[in-house]
Amino acid sequence: MRKVYFILIIFLAVSKLYSQGKYLTKEGYVSFFSHSLVEDIKADNRQVLSVIDTETGEIAVQLLMRSFLFKKALMQQHFNESYVESHKFPKATFNGHILNYKELNNQNDETEIKGILTVHGKDKEVSVIAKFQFEKDQIDISGDFMVEVADFDIKIPSVVRNNIAKVIKVTFELKHIPYKK
Amino acid sequence: MKNKRFKILIGFILIVSISLFIVLNLYNKPLLNIAKSRADMEIKAQEILDDYRKDEIIANKKYVDNVIQIKGEISNISIENGNGIISLKDLKGESSVMCHMSPEENLKVLKLKKGSVITIKGVCTGYLLDVVLVRCIIINN
Repeated sequence: MRKVYFILIIFLAVSKLYSQGKYLTKEGYVSFFSHSLVEDIKADNRQVLSVIDTETGEIAVQLLMRSFLFKKALMQQHFNESYVESHKFPKATFNGHILNYKELNNQNDETEIKGILTVHGKDKEVSVIAKFQFEKDQIDISGDFMVEVADFDIKIPSVVRNNIAKVIKVTFELKHIPYKK
Repeated sequence: MKNKRFKILIGFILIVSISLFIVLNLYNKPLLNIAKSRADMEIKAQEILDDYRKDEIIANKKYVDNVIQIKGEISNISIENGNGIISLKDLKGESSVMCHMSPEENLKVLKLKKGSVITIKGVCTGYLLDVVLVRCIIINN
């Protein structure tokens, strides 16, 4: 009888571990917004990949630069061909650590995520305040942060310098579900 | 004399307004209409997946930013933020071709069934865990 309990306990422990493994989304949302006196520019990306390891509190985000959709064809073309050079650097990534992840438990909780953002082949350390929501089996993370265009070695021609802001606002919304193989 | 000057002025205004019109039109041009544009290539889902598994950089050069007409078996259908996503099956692995549908296709997406074969047209943006196609429309099923 004791053996059965033992096996049962082990089984429960393992299944708990398993359920606390990786959470993932392939349909995450990231957008950026540039405001200037001349015009506002916005682009949306709804194909963002994000994985959270709930054991360690690590988060890894990957997105394709070409998945950013603009309103105007010319903006999208200039963005990909001249500014971020998508043919050379097709992806942007963020690898970070969720601070105090284990203490997050409430419905609406905020914490800091620290990590390295890589855009246009350049790394930059960023710190983001993100909102966490735990619903059933889902982990939702959302928030926004500012990035400086100059930090990523992105050259903007002087002709359109007044059209594009020096600091861009990035908004994200990632709804993770348990990862099943 | 006055008449000549007047004509030059009219001509000048005409040229300026025409070039302004062209520039503004070019500047405000919307994104390519996928439904109306011809596909750059027609391909089976498995072929594009094989190419990406072999070499992502070469595959990117071949497919990215092109309008691709792709045929494959539906492995999953989901709706995210009001837009349909159709996954085409990878017979050799865990990957897939994820086709993010245009909002106009929502009604058609609801009628689709898993396991059936479909042809979809969209723009390839690259590869994460899956091959990603955006702004897709259904050709036939």
